[in-house]
Amino acid sequence: MSEIQLKPIWRWQWTLIAGIFLLIVCAVAITIGPVQIKTIEIIHTLLGRETILSDQERSLLIEIRFPRVALAALVGAALATSGAVYQTVFRNPLADPYLLGAAAGAGLGATIAITVARADFYPSLPIFAFIGGILAVIATFLVAGRLYSDPGSLLLSGIAIGSFATAVQTFLQQRNSEVLRPVYSWILGELTVAEWSSVRWAALYIFIALGILFSVSKILDALMLSDEEAFSLGVSPNRIRIIAVCAATLATATAVSVSGLIGFVGIVVPHIVKRLTKKATNRALLAIALFGAAFLVLADLGARTLITPAEIPIGVITAFIGAPFFLFILRTRSKNL
Amino acid sequence: MFRRIRKFGVAVLALSILLSSAASAIARENQTKYPLNIVSAGFATKLPAKPLRIISLSPSATEILFAIKAGPQVLAVDDNSNYPANAPRSALSGFAPNLEAIVALNPDFVILNKDSAKSDAIHKSLTNLGIPVMMEAAARNLSDVYREITEIGRAVDQQAKARNLIHTMKKRIATVIKTSKRIKSQSFFHELDNTLYTATSKTFIGNVYRDLGLINVADSASGADSSGYPQLSAEYLIQSNPEIIFLADAQYGESVSTVKARPGWQSIAAVKNVRIIELPADIPSRWGPRIVDFYELVAKSIK
Repeated sequence: MSEIQLKPIWRWQWTLIAGIFLLIVCAVAITIGPVQIKTIEIIHTLLGRETILSDQERSLLIEIRFPRVALAALVGAALATSGAVYQTVFRNPLADPYLLGAAAGAGLGATIAITVARADFYPSLPIFAFIGGILAVIATFLVAGRLYSDPGSLLLSGIAIGSFATAVQTFLQQRNSEVLRPVYSWILGELTVAEWSSVRWAALYIFIALGILFSVSKILDALMLSDEEAFSLGVSPNRIRIIAVCAATLATATAVSVSGLIGFVGIVVPHIVKRLTKKATNRALLAIALFGAAFLVLADLGARTLITPAEIPIGVITAFIGAPFFLFILRTRSKNL
Repeated sequence: MFRRIRKFGVAVLALSILLSSAASAIARENQTKYPLNIVSAGFATKLPAKPLRIISLSPSATEILFAIKAGPQVLAVDDNSNYPANAPRSALSGFAPNLEAIVALNPDFVILNKDSAKSDAIHKSLTNLGIPVMMEAAARNLSDVYREITEIGRAVDQQAKARNLIHTMKKRIATVIKTSKRIKSQSFFHELDNTLYTATSKTFIGNVYRDLGLINVADSASGADSSGYPQLSAEYLIQSNPEIIFLADAQYGESVSTVKARPGWQSIAAVKNVRIIELPADIPSRWGPRIVDFYELVAKSIK
């Protein structure tokens, strides 16, 4: 089993299909919205040609709809990829950015920004989330790292750190009930206020993180085997693990800080893609990233159009689609085995 | 002759007795008779005597108590009751009330908000301990506010003051509404936070704007959320082009300059004409006597 998995089985067909799928989804997402604008005019706007759109419609397209689709794609790619990497590193098919305390730490960081630091620090919310996520992962490693023997203890300490961060966050919320609404709506997940500045900022960190993950993806497959076998292949398991987890956490924290806590992308997308590509794990990472992007763009399209002109929190949509789909996957999979 | 005078005197005497007894009857009517049974928000309680050690766990109730001059009867108020400044603010949480902490202060009357955590269990426990509790439901409109003022006034034996307060509030609000009727109606957006949560005309605060003849751009989204607090999409908001923007989140750092800096918002009439109103903290989220100030503030900004 192990030798087969280590053969280079980069499924370029699936990557291509994922890429095309993402393009189609993005095209649909920018043509549909709460405000109806003719498709031909949108194409003209995209190509920089003259349009008959009013200034208002133009700024609506360029400043509101385009960055939102772009941000959804970035966040989806980040969550799906880091989910796949976490699953490999911890040899746990249920691992995702919510384990290891990464997302909870980022949530705590943002809550501290909103409650303790108050209005003056409000714009710095993403930075606080990022620091919180990184600190939670470092804490997880400090608790488990020294005694490191099996990935299980790391997962358990991640769960403990995550629960601790959530407890502190809940406490802060209770003590500061007057800012409950901003914290609450942020936790549910928001792409509603996407703008180009946050897209640029998020793109920088997410591309760095994904670049690192793609470059170590071949070695990551060795970690799917036992640590001994990884050693025998000339791979230092812990070093790769630390690099991979840090990069995945960077991607997660960035995603969380611009969009709140959006669940299920990190589990659903890698599993679907791995099934489609016949379990080629990390060499399908690019396909996973592209499908993740497409999934979240679609979910966000639902969030902004289903009960127009109101919004549905995107975290609700991803869980609503994700949870049943995930159960379906689990069942069909167990039948096949 | 004398007889006639005497007759007149008797008549005056009779009249004066009649008048004074009527006056004292009114005075007696103004005075609450204890023990008093009250039912509020569907919860019954019994007050054995005039309360002199009141705990208020609702900022709105606190403002009402002090406005009807029941301040000296108040023992402690919750951690969010920051108005008036002389209210005895304590560490008690109105949001998640702590039964032991309340009982430790030995109150003789507690006002509890129905939306607080486990309010029905707290009500039951306090009642079992012999401490009367008034359950306060969030007001949906002005008549709810007047009803709460009346109920609190009766419970704490300040009925005349409560009536006066309601009278003044009604008069001031009527004046504001009358003058605002002359202005042509304008559209507005009431911002609860910078992710565009808002309040429709179904809500308490939405009623205020409607009373003043303003058109709420959020009303087309009122089907989205049963309580009347939907989240609008940015695209819709820009297209609906409100003429005024009210920032209820000014206390969380939003301001004229942050709104002007939002991408795509420059085409909104309110932003173009800089008709962005930073609302004062707390007033728009409470249903106390200061709601009148809010009416006046909104009316002033639409002129």
